[in-house]
Amino acid sequence: MSDPGPIASARADGRHTLTEAEGKRLLASAGIETTAFQACADADEAVAAADAIGYPVVAKVSSPAVTHKSDWAGGVGVVVGLDSPEAVREAATRIFGAADEQGIAADVLVEEAIDLDRGTEVIVGGVRDPSFGPVVLTGLGGVFTEVFEDTSHRIAPVDHAEARSAIEALRAAELLYGYRGSDPADVDALASAVVAIGDLVTEHSIAELDVNPLLATTDGVIALDALVVLEA
Amino acid sequence: MMPFDERGAVSLTQLFDPSGVAVVGASRTEGKIGYVAMENAAEFAGPVYPVNPSGEGELFGSAFVPSVAEIDGPVDLALCCVPGPAMPDVLDECGEAGIGAVVIYASGFAEAGAEGEALQDEIVAVAAEHDISLLGPNTSGFVVPATDLRCSFASGVGEVPAGNTAVVAQSGGVAHVLAFQSRRQRRGVSAMVGLGNRANVGFAEAIEYFDGDDRTDAIVLHVEGTDDGRRLLETCRESDTPVIAYKVGQSDVGAFAESHTGALTGDHELYTAGFAQYGVPTVDATDDLLDAAAALGGSPTPDGPNVGVVTAQAGPGIIITDRIQRAGGRLPELTPETAERVDEILPGITYDDNPVDTGRPMPAFGEVVTAVAEDSNVDIVLVYELFEEALGFPVAALDGLADRVDKPVLFATEGIESELAGERDALEAAGVPTFETPERAADAAGVLARYAELHADGPDDEPATDGGRSLPGGVAGTGVSPRE
Repeated sequence: MSDPGPIASARADGRHTLTEAEGKRLLASAGIETTAFQACADADEAVAAADAIGYPVVAKVSSPAVTHKSDWAGGVGVVVGLDSPEAVREAATRIFGAADEQGIAADVLVEEAIDLDRGTEVIVGGVRDPSFGPVVLTGLGGVFTEVFEDTSHRIAPVDHAEARSAIEALRAAELLYGYRGSDPADVDALASAVVAIGDLVTEHSIAELDVNPLLATTDGVIALDALVVLEA
Repeated sequence: MMPFDERGAVSLTQLFDPSGVAVVGASRTEGKIGYVAMENAAEFAGPVYPVNPSGEGELFGSAFVPSVAEIDGPVDLALCCVPGPAMPDVLDECGEAGIGAVVIYASGFAEAGAEGEALQDEIVAVAAEHDISLLGPNTSGFVVPATDLRCSFASGVGEVPAGNTAVVAQSGGVAHVLAFQSRRQRRGVSAMVGLGNRANVGFAEAIEYFDGDDRTDAIVLHVEGTDDGRRLLETCRESDTPVIAYKVGQSDVGAFAESHTGALTGDHELYTAGFAQYGVPTVDATDDLLDAAAALGGSPTPDGPNVGVVTAQAGPGIIITDRIQRAGGRLPELTPETAERVDEILPGITYDDNPVDTGRPMPAFGEVVTAVAEDSNVDIVLVYELFEEALGFPVAALDGLADRVDKPVLFATEGIESELAGERDALEAAGVPTFETPERAADAAGVLARYAELHADGPDDEPATDGGRSLPGGVAGTGVSPRE
């Protein structure tokens, strides 16, 4: 059973959207591996967090007021490839500055950087449909989701075999099975993540949930981002 | 008061198998709904009562009754040909008179804005008070040909023959489209129902009823949209009778989606994926719906998607071969034993693999079909043969073949309709569903193949442990039920 704590804390604040840190804690409690991360209230904390996590890191704005972080404030909301304390301090200072300008409360989330070439970007999501109830979506990430809409849906909850069938139904599923000599992804681990997301949407009052991207590698899957919107 | 769910079965029997029928608002004026409804209902073998306070004498052989309260005799069902605003009072009278099922033809309810919605809420409340099943409002009704129960105000419904497919359509108009098509296809229906606004009889109630109906071997659904999709799916999964669905409309996704997932989740995706997940093959045309029902309802359930094709003419066989694979079927190789058998029956035939092409109709055609049907690699048999008057169809060889090999045997043909009609009926009577074009037969075989995969128990249901793929890609919903 996943931890209702992050949802309760958002509810206690009167928020319908979880912060990325809360979202990742929810995923971790459901057995989905996430990148190491720490929410930091100032630039010094951000540098200390980066030292602890190890370089390079990613810095992201973390605020209930910001849903799409990379589009926010002219692109300062997500900065990747920070390989020194100076770079972390500069990125964090810009994020705090932009938040001050907009008059919103924000933290900086410092995260372990993951080499995207280690695997295939996948999206796994959940949504509560008014007619069908909890639904889980599986899709190939990036351009495959946004341009080709190569996704498949299942009514949740699903078992492992149904989750595998959702993966196999993708038109470009070949990419996960070792395309042109690349290493095949751990499809069983991906199926387990699909099951877990289906369970999360079934068990909690979640309206929408995105794990985008979820990186599917040869030895497991790892969530690089999490968006969780609660029911009103 | 019993909750509706517990009462439902009893109440739907009163709807589809009533002791007697009241036509409320029956009229002598030709052209009025109250006239046509009475004209159609009068064919029913049980008592039919025209109800109208200003009616005098008889209408279509039955005496007018001033109100349902004054009906002297058995009555379960009332067909209401009165305007919407009169319905709450009429329903109350029906309830007092012990009537358990009511058809409301009138429109102007939930489909027509806030006032209509309020009126619909009112009739649902009255119906709940009296445990009445409401078909409609905003429907053209239903027909059960086997008992001449014609509760529709459309002309010609009496010509729809009795068959073994139950048509359950969201739209009364589409229910009639399917019923008349089934007549043209010489198949007929066990019942056709237009649900209309589904005040308290919806897809789930109708599917449950027809699943238990002895005359029904397949249920076809026409779906525009329902606000309880999950219950529809769960009812389909519970049904022992095969269900096939045609979901119309590719509506927009939720306008307020904040996530990619929300923006990528449309109604159509959910119906298509949900039906497959819950064991219901879907099709994209009214003809396909009836073809699929003929194939599924008239045949043993196939064990797998492998189709053995026997054709007397190469060209149609090539069309079928091409089409089956796109429709979800597979063409297995025949066993060496079968190839040998076919060689012995027809030395030097054109092509003795799958499809088996005999090159022309011939007396031994039935033996070839039998050999392929008995092949252990074959789950479904599809035969194409142009009608040759001197030879006829291989009825004797095919009679009972499907039951004996426990596999569907489908037969597609073409020729002069009047010349082949008798032989075609003989095939149907012998347990062989027939089809009019190679494409439609191939598509029906494709539905059988998908049905077999959606209902497969066994290895495909187990999580693969080798990290490899258990099935080729592209087959949506490869057949496992969600966790209970």
